[in-house]
Amino acid sequence: MMTCARCLLRLQGLEGVMGVVRPSADRGAALLQAASVLTQTRGLSKPHGEVRRPFHGSSARRERRPPSALLQPEEGGEAGRSVVGGEAGRSEEGGEAGRSVVAQDNLFEPRTRDKAAFGAAIEAFTRQSRRRRGHVEFIYAALQKMPEFGVERDLVVYNRLLDVFPKEVFVPSNFIQRMFNHYPRQQECAVEVLETMETYGLMPNMETKVLLVQIFGEKSHPMRKFQRLMYWFPKFKHANPFPVPRLLPADPVDLARFSLTRIADDLDAKVTVYQMPCTDITEAGEEVTFPHIVGSQSPEQMELLAQHRPSRPVFVEGPFPLWLRTTCLYYYVLRADPLPPGEKGEEPYDPERSLYYPLQLELDLERDMGDLGDDFDVDEVDEGPVFAMCMTDRGDQATLNQWVSGLQETNPVLGQVPTLFRLDSGPRMLQNPVAQGYRPHPETEPPAPKEEEEVEVYPSHQQADVTLEEEPRHSRGVKQ
Amino acid sequence: MSLTRITHLPPAGFLGCVRQRPFLNPTSPSSLPRGATARSVYRRPGQPKDNRPPWEKIQLDFTKGVQGLKRHLALLKKELVEPLVGPQGKPLLEHMLEQNRVVWEFRGPEGLEQWSVSSDREIGGQSEVYLKLGRNSNTCLLYGNLCSTPPKDGETRYSGYCALRSKQPRCSFDRKVHMDWTSFNTLHLRVRGDGRPWMVNLAAETYYSHQKDEIYSYFLYTRGGPYWQEVKIPFSKFFLGYRGRIQDNQHNLWLDKINTLGFTLGDKADGPFQLEIDFIGVSKDYAHIEEFAYEMNKKP
Repeated sequence: MMTCARCLLRLQGLEGVMGVVRPSADRGAALLQAASVLTQTRGLSKPHGEVRRPFHGSSARRERRPPSALLQPEEGGEAGRSVVGGEAGRSEEGGEAGRSVVAQDNLFEPRTRDKAAFGAAIEAFTRQSRRRRGHVEFIYAALQKMPEFGVERDLVVYNRLLDVFPKEVFVPSNFIQRMFNHYPRQQECAVEVLETMETYGLMPNMETKVLLVQIFGEKSHPMRKFQRLMYWFPKFKHANPFPVPRLLPADPVDLARFSLTRIADDLDAKVTVYQMPCTDITEAGEEVTFPHIVGSQSPEQMELLAQHRPSRPVFVEGPFPLWLRTTCLYYYVLRADPLPPGEKGEEPYDPERSLYYPLQLELDLERDMGDLGDDFDVDEVDEGPVFAMCMTDRGDQATLNQWVSGLQETNPVLGQVPTLFRLDSGPRMLQNPVAQGYRPHPETEPPAPKEEEEVEVYPSHQQADVTLEEEPRHSRGVKQ
Repeated sequence: MSLTRITHLPPAGFLGCVRQRPFLNPTSPSSLPRGATARSVYRRPGQPKDNRPPWEKIQLDFTKGVQGLKRHLALLKKELVEPLVGPQGKPLLEHMLEQNRVVWEFRGPEGLEQWSVSSDREIGGQSEVYLKLGRNSNTCLLYGNLCSTPPKDGETRYSGYCALRSKQPRCSFDRKVHMDWTSFNTLHLRVRGDGRPWMVNLAAETYYSHQKDEIYSYFLYTRGGPYWQEVKIPFSKFFLGYRGRIQDNQHNLWLDKINTLGFTLGDKADGPFQLEIDFIGVSKDYAHIEEFAYEMNKKP
């Protein structure tokens, strides 16, 4: 009986998929047919003689849309789903014996994997067994399948899953039941549902609470879990001072703009798009794609670059990773090496920079006992200044050189400064710790082969004369 | 709540690992302090129990003993001489008026010796984590690769964490010493990350042995990018968790006996990560008067 029902189910699913293509009149017919199947099933199941246990539907459920109109993005899905529901009902008429053990995975094998199909599976389960036998196994199976169907971040689906539990059966009715763990398997299962929600950062809503109260009672473990979620989630919801939206912009240029504003740490930083991504066909018929190049530079960085001594080279370094939730992007940096200790000179204050208040004060004040200062007693980490940052999806020298040429329009110093490229091979950040000469844990060294840091001299622009040949030109072809 | 789920982890993986576990052990046993053997290690599901009697686990070595004795005597001498100058080796006035203190800094290889790294290798995962000095060898660079595929042992459901934890400070003859931060109220870090969120964990000395996995945690959000980032976290914001679960009965952190500080990454984003730390200090922020950020009421 089960296999037969499954075949039918597949057939009906096919029908539902085809329903998308069919004209609307035909679709209406399919809907009607589904409805007739539904009514027929109801009619058949009544004379079956089963005493129906009065399950109380949740009030939340009642106020929602009717189940056949639930959760469907397109009508084709609707037709297919309601037919599936009717189908499951039809399998019921064959008797109780065939569906005593339901292989829960079979419900999750439709053609299309989306929210509607998932809802259809839940619907099929709730319809096919009036006692909801095996619902714990069903919920565990559904939780496992959720990422496949892409519904793992959908609160409505979780509520529907919780709705599979029969209502008011597991509520403890006397103090002994309340004292001991009443229906532990079911409670664990519900806690697991809530924990999955927590893993995906979903906050339950009032409907969840109503369901949990109806299923397990006021002071059950799932209810406690719900209360913990409701207490802690709002506390940490806005804890991140550098928030990242859940849905990142799909356009790479927008994404690069967002990331550059984030890492620039300067509200004045100006983001410039040096090249939009485009595809061109050359005369030879080859397809050439141009990557996007988006750079950012703040006025402070421009000032630093203007003061840079042209005899010292600037470096294009990268790629460095930047993580936005689960997306990893790579950025490149134009920077210089730190000045040697002897050449550092303090910039004298220009007294005319501000005429309203003095920039320097020579006051001889006595220090109080408590004034030990707020600064930490640490040596300053001496790193070279950062002049600009850029993001591109192709990190080769030609692309980065284009960026440097674009920078040169606003920073004329770059025409006289030799530009060197220090690029890691490929977009990976794991550098080899061997270069540092210190091994904290000799056994934890990565077995990766040593990668040479590629240092190459490259003219920053055509008219820029670069005479820095003493830089090692090794490993030209090692790029992996 | 399991926001700190990943932090709890094999509680002993950080400190105690003396049994031979050739394919699981990312930390070298020689770097572990003696006296840490009392804690049991995490035994993976399916792994046979080590039934050797305790005397077979002792390795007697004469040279090791001499080295240990030298180290302990040097510590003892330091311990005896320091109070002559003042408390904690500083003049009394300086000690009383201290507003901030650098607790850990990384200005050479010796800075790294106070830290130990661990990852989910210990429970059978595939994450990697390494610690080294930064480019100009005065910062600490924690890097590696996160992989959140759970091990296939049938029981473990979550995996994917990497952690850095300071070692328990010990004075001579392996006695524990604790850090006293009662005159400060803010943790001050100078870090440079790659945009991933981390978790800062503080473990204080507890009275009962069943409390030894209690850890106070808060989040460390990194901005990413080439610039350093100064992070100030008030101690009042740290919440109590036990083996990765936030507790219902919260309490504020008592700062008089701090044992270790750690960083944990477990954001389920598989891929390479890195965190560069310049220094870790504590400071006193007079503008911050909050004692505890969370309610301490009991559950009904």
